Amino acid sequence: MSEERDVHHGHDHDHDHAHGPLHNHPPLQPDDTSAPGRYELMVLAMKELLIEKGVLTADQVRRGFETLDSWDPGRGAAIVARAWTDPAFKKKLLSDGNAAVAEFGIDMGEAKLTVVENTEKVQNVAVCTLCSCYPRAVLGLPPDWYRSKNYRSRIVIEPRKVLKEFGTEVPDDMTVRVHDSLADLRYLILPRRPAGTEGWTAEQLASIVTRDCMVGVANPQVPRNA
Amino acid sequence: MTGPFSPGDKVRVARTHPPGHRRTPYYVRGKTGTIERVCGEFPNPEELAYGFDGLPRKRLYRVRFRQKEVWPNYTGADGDTVDVDIYEHWLRAV
Amino acid sequence: MEPDNTKFTSAKEPGRGYHDLGGLSAGPVDPAVTTAKPWEKLSVVLGNALGSKGKKVICTDETRRTREEMGVELYNKLGYFEKGIESMRAILTEKGVLDDAEIERRMAAIEKRIREQGR
Repeated sequence: MSEERDVHHGHDHDHDHAHGPLHNHPPLQPDDTSAPGRYELMVLAMKELLIEKGVLTADQVRRGFETLDSWDPGRGAAIVARAWTDPAFKKKLLSDGNAAVAEFGIDMGEAKLTVVENTEKVQNVAVCTLCSCYPRAVLGLPPDWYRSKNYRSRIVIEPRKVLKEFGTEVPDDMTVRVHDSLADLRYLILPRRPAGTEGWTAEQLASIVTRDCMVGVANPQVPRNA
Repeated sequence: MTGPFSPGDKVRVARTHPPGHRRTPYYVRGKTGTIERVCGEFPNPEELAYGFDGLPRKRLYRVRFRQKEVWPNYTGADGDTVDVDIYEHWLRAV
Repeated sequence: MEPDNTKFTSAKEPGRGYHDLGGLSAGPVDPAVTTAKPWEKLSVVLGNALGSKGKKVICTDETRRTREEMGVELYNKLGYFEKGIESMRAILTEKGVLDDAEIERRMAAIEKRIREQGR
């Protein structure tokens, strides 16, 4: 764990304001001179009060930012790349997602990571129509469009049309399967490995697995100059 | 009957619109689907939402619905489905 | 009678919460992605910390419920993280962990601080 480094500001600050590049909690934002909105003020107020009342500690908040920063779609991409090249791992991933990703040091917490596989017959796509549940530990925070009313409304009733808006056309002889994750299961789509990737390294494979591929609105593309 | 169900069983979702926190979406209520898998047992979120312990645990099922049965005007392929995680007390045997 | 799923709106259907969106008519999906601001990330961090194993002050189901209770106007007006903060405020005050008056007082103090000293 990195050491706290105190930098003199000329005024009191509780120590979870960042002082340097080693700290991932809210950095000083001298460039942001916009007036804070109501909800920025509200969350800052709640944080301060919760710490003062001993409900949370500043250290928990700091560590929480580190955890949040570790949530990244690169993790999901590495998992997919491994599943593409290691049949035993793929089998484990499909039957017990939490145990499989624990091999990458990823803790899913109370969520049950449920991995569904795209095949030549089935295109899977995930949503949470009631809020925006999402496998954040392996994909990062959900993108704006996933959280949007338009996606949540339309993906269950006209998935092929929505996928087309993302540039993904699914032929009629394939099945589109929408997964509405409304309980403790969090869905990760395992996309199909495209042709033209034979002999690729894990890093090369991971580089074509975008976040959108793991939600199911896109499929991995081999760049033309690959 | 509200189960227990096994994969392959046909089930119908209760057509009821109770107030309060529910995790069975409006669009599947009253619809018929098939148990795709048993997901496990979890404390009831409808109770957890109000500070209760949600016990005893309820069984959670993944229910697969044919899109053409859910939406009268569905224009995609016949085989298209929507899979939804639904708690046992919302499901009836068909 | 079969519910007609092709022409409803959440405001008019009895029993459909305003958050229960599956199947409603809506516009194109905007693919633009924005990066969460520090205060938005803080809302996620607080939510996680308050609901963490071994230290459950609130749980996700409670904040989902308060999100569904804030009223359709706020729900439609607020952004995603703002809704999260609003629902967190609602459950924390409901449970007596914080009260609205102290939150508002602190918000005013922070606004003054930021105005005078920057973020």
